Amino acid sequence: MTIRERGYAHWDGELEESKFSWWPIATYGVKLTFKKKFFKSFFFFTFIPALAYLGGIYVSERLEDFHFMIEESAPFIQVNPAYFKSYFTNDFLLFIIVMIIIFAGAGLISDDIKYNALQLYFSRPLKKKDYFIGKASVIFFFMALITLIPGLIFLLTKIIFSGSFKFVLSYPWLPFSTLGYSLILIVFFSFYSLSISSLSKNRRYVAVMIFGIYFFSDIFFQIFYGIFKNQYFSLLSIKANLKQIGAFIFGQKLPYSIPWFYSFLFIIAFCTFGGLVLKRRVKGVVIVK
Amino acid sequence: MTIEVNNLHFSYGKLKALDGVNINLNQGSIGLLGPNGAGKSTLIRILLGFLQVEKGEGKVLGYDIRTQQSDIRRFVGYMPEDDCFIPGMDAVCFTSYFGELSGMPHEEAMKRAHEVLFYVGLEESRYRQIETYSRGMKQRLKIAQAIVHDPKLILFDEPTSGLDPRGRREMLELIMDISSKKNIQVLISSHILPDIENTCSYVVILNKGKLVAQGDIKELKQIKYSLYEVKIKGESRNFLRSLRERQCKVEKTEDGLLKIYMPPGHNPQDIFMIAANEKIQIRHFLKSQTPLEDIFARAVGVD
Repeated sequence: MTIRERGYAHWDGELEESKFSWWPIATYGVKLTFKKKFFKSFFFFTFIPALAYLGGIYVSERLEDFHFMIEESAPFIQVNPAYFKSYFTNDFLLFIIVMIIIFAGAGLISDDIKYNALQLYFSRPLKKKDYFIGKASVIFFFMALITLIPGLIFLLTKIIFSGSFKFVLSYPWLPFSTLGYSLILIVFFSFYSLSISSLSKNRRYVAVMIFGIYFFSDIFFQIFYGIFKNQYFSLLSIKANLKQIGAFIFGQKLPYSIPWFYSFLFIIAFCTFGGLVLKRRVKGVVIVK
Repeated sequence: MTIEVNNLHFSYGKLKALDGVNINLNQGSIGLLGPNGAGKSTLIRILLGFLQVEKGEGKVLGYDIRTQQSDIRRFVGYMPEDDCFIPGMDAVCFTSYFGELSGMPHEEAMKRAHEVLFYVGLEESRYRQIETYSRGMKQRLKIAQAIVHDPKLILFDEPTSGLDPRGRREMLELIMDISSKKNIQVLISSHILPDIENTCSYVVILNKGKLVAQGDIKELKQIKYSLYEVKIKGESRNFLRSLRERQCKVEKTEDGLLKIYMPPGHNPQDIFMIAANEKIQIRHFLKSQTPLEDIFARAVGVD
């Protein structure tokens, strides 16, 4: 059958102008991530820290059931803001976040640049802002599942197992800290992964850069701190800055003896720089002068 | 007017890509013709709002190209020249995805994706990963994504680029079908003359960022001028000089063929007379059979 013999019917619907024109980018982005090799297995692995901490909350409320495991009168697990801070700033969770953004975020923009898809996106009634929000929503989805959602579940579990609101009334700011710190992590890692993703057409190079910048920034901090014994070098490390902010937000002792807002400024500067990189790199057309 | 631009200027740094272009296009299939670097792609990108004009104004489907880009993109389909796809998607997902991005509801976009994939001839491979598609299949897929939202106007940028003869013929058939039977206006940018000649009724010729000719192809063909292909034997220097003295433009091809452009009012017998005077034998003499080529050559200059 030749092409001309096939029918083409006009569509009788009406094209809608949506405020959420980024939504298809987010949903298809999440679906495509699940199609990636090994991602599904890895994805279940990412819940291990949350499950461990959830188990900790259960144990803390059912201490009498676990007396055989603990020394007499020794404090076993105390669920308090420090417990939450310990979950959100532990090295393992941050490592998992980096791995998640490698899987979900490395190809988000680099693939569009490599396969010339940007011009297709921008030939639609889509603004740059919508494109970025759509792509960042993919990161948001996966990161919220291991930061914000577990944090809220911890609070809920604590209330359910303790049978009262005493815990929340003792720390009324804790839900906001959970929400606030989760958002800081999500926003930072969204800018981090998207800006790096826009720098190369090769998803593997992007993955290496995402991993490398995160870990080498910490290694540089350790080297300089080892030589000069000055804690201001912690500002070089992404991990150290996030831990510093986390400690402040959850009302805990700061891990480094420098003002917390220096780390906050570092994160803002990093996001601003990431935004500028994105603006420069993501264009509907590549202009060859 | 479907496309209307007045005094359009655009530069890439110091390089002037469009220099005071004025175009008024109505219904029908329109060919945008010009050599590489003429400003065809720049014009398409400006019409879609990818590039902001420096000076001038324009409207596409009644929407301002400077302020209403979103509306233009909602009702215009675009098929870019380059291979464009999203890895990991099959054709159905890909097509419905861009339907949704154009403003179609999810279910409608999915239904419509199947329909247009049938129409472009990808029905059997619509669930295959796009990465495994051949060049011709990718071209068809690009058409599918351009028509999924039922646009009023489709901009084709070099639609037959890189296709084998059969693929090219089928692509042109598809474009002709869209433009002639489906009430969708098309603008085809190409540097391949026969493609434009076979598919379009109206042509716009750009050269070095300037509009050099526009009009109905049939009317343009009526212009009185002539292109002759001549093969000679003998010393050609004086023969060529004599032709140029009579205001003829002469181009020599790689295989030794002379293309002689005669201005209006000249008689082709003059060529034979000059040859006789210069003691040259004419071994081959043919009036060009591709009129659009003449128009194009005259418009952009043979040099």
